Amino acid sequence: MALKSAIRNLRNNPYLLFVRLPNLLSLLCIVVGVVWLLLLPLNEYSRRTYISENALLPGQVHAYFTGSEQNIFRGYKKELEGLLNDGQARGGQKDEAEVTAAVSDKLQSILQAAGLKVATQKYEYTSAGITHQGENTYAIIHAPRGDATEAIVLVAPWMTADDKLNLNGVTLALTLARYFKRWSLWSKDIIFLITPDSKSGTQAWIDAYHDMHPASVQSLPLKSGALQGALVIEYPLEHRFQTLHIVYDGVNGQLPNLDLFNTAVAIAGGQMGIGANLQEMWGHDDSYKHRLQTMFRGMTKQGLGYATGAHSSFMPYHIDAITLQTKGEGWEDEMALGRTIESLCRSLNNLLEHLHQSFFFYLLMQSNRFVSIGTYLPSAMLIAGNFTLMAIALWMRTGYYPETKPAEPKDGKTDVAEPKDMKVSVEAKTINIAERQLALPLSLVAGLHLLGLVPLWVFNNIFHQYFTTTTYIFVVVGIILPLILAAILSHGLGLSKPIVPQQYHLIKSFSLLLLGLSLSTLATLNFSLSFMIGLLCAPLSFVTRVQSSAPVRLATSSLGLVLLNLLSPPTVLLGVCGYMGVSVEEVLTQAAFGWDVWGLESGVVALDMAHNYKGCKE
Amino acid sequence: MTVLSLFSVPFVALVLSLWSCSVLASSDYHEHLLLQPLPQSSLLASFNFRSNTSQQSFDQQHFRHLPRALGQILQHAHTKELHLRFTTGRWDAESWGARPWNGSKEGGTGAELWAWIDAPGDEEAFAKWITLTQSLSGLFCASLNFVDSTRTTRPVVSFEPTGDHSAADQLHLLHGTLPGEVVCTENLTPFLKLLPCKGKAGISSLFDGHKLFDAAWQSMSVDIQPVCGADGECVVQIEQSVDMVLDIDRSKRSRSNPIPRPVPNEQLICDTSKPYNSDDTCYPLETSDKAWSLTEVFGRSLNGVCPLADSDGTSDPSVCLRVPHERGVFISEGAEEIKKEDGFTRCFKLASSAPFDLSIPQQPVNTQVPLDEPVLHAERTIVGHGQERGGMRIIFGNPSNTSDVDFIYFESLPWFLRPYIHTLHATITGLDGVPREVPASEIVKETYYRPAIDRERGTQLELSLSVPAASTVTLTYDFEKAILRYTEYPPDANRGFNVAPAVIRILDTAHHSPIYIRSTSLLLQLPTPDFSMPYNVIILTSTVIALAFGTIFNILVRRVVSLDEAAVLGSQSVKGRLLGKVVAIRDRIRGKSSKVE
Repeated sequence: MALKSAIRNLRNNPYLLFVRLPNLLSLLCIVVGVVWLLLLPLNEYSRRTYISENALLPGQVHAYFTGSEQNIFRGYKKELEGLLNDGQARGGQKDEAEVTAAVSDKLQSILQAAGLKVATQKYEYTSAGITHQGENTYAIIHAPRGDATEAIVLVAPWMTADDKLNLNGVTLALTLARYFKRWSLWSKDIIFLITPDSKSGTQAWIDAYHDMHPASVQSLPLKSGALQGALVIEYPLEHRFQTLHIVYDGVNGQLPNLDLFNTAVAIAGGQMGIGANLQEMWGHDDSYKHRLQTMFRGMTKQGLGYATGAHSSFMPYHIDAITLQTKGEGWEDEMALGRTIESLCRSLNNLLEHLHQSFFFYLLMQSNRFVSIGTYLPSAMLIAGNFTLMAIALWMRTGYYPETKPAEPKDGKTDVAEPKDMKVSVEAKTINIAERQLALPLSLVAGLHLLGLVPLWVFNNIFHQYFTTTTYIFVVVGIILPLILAAILSHGLGLSKPIVPQQYHLIKSFSLLLLGLSLSTLATLNFSLSFMIGLLCAPLSFVTRVQSSAPVRLATSSLGLVLLNLLSPPTVLLGVCGYMGVSVEEVLTQAAFGWDVWGLESGVVALDMAHNYKGCKE
Repeated sequence: MTVLSLFSVPFVALVLSLWSCSVLASSDYHEHLLLQPLPQSSLLASFNFRSNTSQQSFDQQHFRHLPRALGQILQHAHTKELHLRFTTGRWDAESWGARPWNGSKEGGTGAELWAWIDAPGDEEAFAKWITLTQSLSGLFCASLNFVDSTRTTRPVVSFEPTGDHSAADQLHLLHGTLPGEVVCTENLTPFLKLLPCKGKAGISSLFDGHKLFDAAWQSMSVDIQPVCGADGECVVQIEQSVDMVLDIDRSKRSRSNPIPRPVPNEQLICDTSKPYNSDDTCYPLETSDKAWSLTEVFGRSLNGVCPLADSDGTSDPSVCLRVPHERGVFISEGAEEIKKEDGFTRCFKLASSAPFDLSIPQQPVNTQVPLDEPVLHAERTIVGHGQERGGMRIIFGNPSNTSDVDFIYFESLPWFLRPYIHTLHATITGLDGVPREVPASEIVKETYYRPAIDRERGTQLELSLSVPAASTVTLTYDFEKAILRYTEYPPDANRGFNVAPAVIRILDTAHHSPIYIRSTSLLLQLPTPDFSMPYNVIILTSTVIALAFGTIFNILVRRVVSLDEAAVLGSQSVKGRLLGKVVAIRDRIRGKSSKVE
């Protein structure tokens, strides 16, 4: 009964119900969402990792890659070094293409001599006026008793993700190919893929493997079965290394199965005693701060969704992949890395089914600690929920509450289209039924979102030199366009009738509804992106027409406008670039490359967000 | 009387057996082994065992070389001709050339069975077929009993009977494959038991499960067919063969030390011409012609000849080797070497009881045994990704520069792979390397298509194709992946589902027997639900809670009253009256506002 009277009170006080309460709830949602995220690194909310797929048996086998294999490693390395230095020593006499061809021939002859089937693939991508081209070399060890139904991929790019020469990595792949060929226990084919770089090469290869490649990429003359996993070897150092760095982020925030990561950690740490790091956290002391930092780094990478290494391209095809990078100066040599890879391959070889047991959605905060989607999802969902809540409140407000309340009746609010004979009900005197005028708000919101296609198209089609200028143009447009729109809407300017406040609310309601809807959907796919955009857009929920005297109104609204402009995507882009010390051009070239080659989608999301802003500035 | 009849049974049997001794003249047994080193340090070993039994003694169930277990199964299932294959691995046509026996004695990966059954109608034939598969399943320790209606097809043009059948038989061809069958020693043992010498003597004594199933490719086959001579005398012929390609390096490893550890530094074979060559740096040199011997490769020696085998000198000696004549071969004492005129083949006459060994030392040779070029290259892969749709891509390459290749392409697809035949497209790539899209009808001359029925039978597709000289034809079609019922998924659902290899029968007039090629089997990923424990728990608890909530809520809220009671109850209470008024007012407002519109 008490509850009932409370509800009746609420009904009697529509201001509380439609204005105060939603604001409070929205704020609560955001605060709880953020606090929830901050709680995750605590022991009570995160879990220790474990191997879910029993078939993997990480580190249960002895790795034999030692002894005279090192002599062969050195031999191969000298051979490749000779070819590379040959090109450098002669300077201009030999051009780069010639050296590349000689190196490619050498790779093929080494792999052929080892008894593998070798093939090459040429590819070319053009993005932002820059052409990326190269030739992949790959070789297949046929599973001795297998039937080309399943395969594992070992990738050694010539250039690492940080654009360093990966000579040791490539040599190691060649040595391992010769060594693996002798074993008869492989149940899956093993494919050795040597790509010129870490970005486009693997993408071209994996696209062609599934016959999804553009015309500028050659199709593969040699194929195997369904790919079960991929490992990327990066050893760009000239000295012995200390630890392994495992990179696992995929394109568009997709992650490999946690079992693969766990296996790598278990083998590197447990069996080989090398130790594994993630997210460039070298001195991780397992404190709350470091855990949180690791998690945030992971979330940033996931949110931005760019390829962090050669392994990233495999993820969209549901092939789990990680990169093993060597870091630091220590005692471990290339044979230790080779044994780690051998042991990992043996584990993957044990798999009876595609990796499916463990998590695909997780946040790692230490090599042996994670939170799974069930624990972290409410955080982003709450933030996305705040928009939906606000949108629903606004929708109800436009329907039932024509703002004749409370106390000060505003100008421009008396002409609410409302039939005079529509009488107040018995119980709640202030609740009126208003007719919603949907045409203008709907078309405005839809139009503004469609306008988002313009920057998307522009940024992905112009040459990279113009990126900086274009960004500034879009900042300016982003400042001016909402003002013009607002002027047109409120004063008509002869173009249309001035709109009524109800329509302001409807515009805002629709924008927020769309935002809430997309963010909550996105949260299940790419938690971090949803969370980041949700936080950036959070002020939109609270943007409202200020109702006070003119000067104060002017001051607050211009302050709000500045704040909104500061948080609009182009400004955020400029700000972050300035803070990180990278040029806008570079970032946007990457983004355009991502769109063209990897099918990156976070750019679209960001641009879409811009238009939510515009819609809400009114 | 009963005593007499009891005595008479063995007597009659004895008389019958004595009588049939004269018929047994047509019963004979041959065995043959051909060894041929192949490129990339491989060795092809082709074993063949053949025996005949006269039709008469077969009908009277008098079995000598033909195994009784198999003979009775055939008679019980009215099977006139039977072909059974167990295959693992992949024949590497690129390095090894054409297939042994023109591919006619091999099957697709796993187990493959086809038979001609004498039955009055289709249904009877299928019933006999099920009997046959069940019995063979027991005999060969294979999962042949899983060849059900969804895995059985009735090919129209892909297979022809190889035996001579009387016109009176109403023969039905049934064909079944098990691409996921893992062939292992348990299949070899029953196979050996069918042989007259059962792996104790003769070439079958070389069979060792460890070596046989470590081969890069191996195929076991059993063929039974009636063969009639010109004089009208018919025999039932059983031919068993085992073909395998051994990796010489791998096979030579002793069983006590099977791990291919890195060799000691001093045993590395390095390219000493390299400037950087030193004690710790080595660019390896791969040797091609490796030394091997029978005992090393097979792990045991050949125990003389099988006493039951014909060794009257008219037939070929049982062991032959194909290496250039200039190559030295050491054989054990007592055996005799016969070199053939072709310059590559030599055969060995074995001493009847002494063990035989043969060893080839490492020796640089200039001539190579010529390998036959395969007539056609075929490759089949699944393209596309995702859980809903996919595509099949089949590439046929004709290496010949002069002649076209005509062949039948036969595919039996599981029912949960639903092909869209209208999307069948053909692309042809000529010498210039530019792919051209051509209408499929230009390449495909005839099509026999039998669509699938869910859970009853698979798709059967037979295409008659022609690939022009020196060109490559790519056929593609799209398919849809069906969603299975919850209980239809196997325990390893996430591995994917095997799709049986395609069979290609090349219609070459130059050869008497057709050439067969089989593609590799495929792994099809179907949309698979998460079978993990949390998923089950979520489903179960949700169901339980929904049920419980519904019932309890119902009980709590509902009050059972009579109709007039309900009216009184409603009007009596203050709440009821108030609510009534509110509703009335709301109705009036609604009604009016709708009129305003």
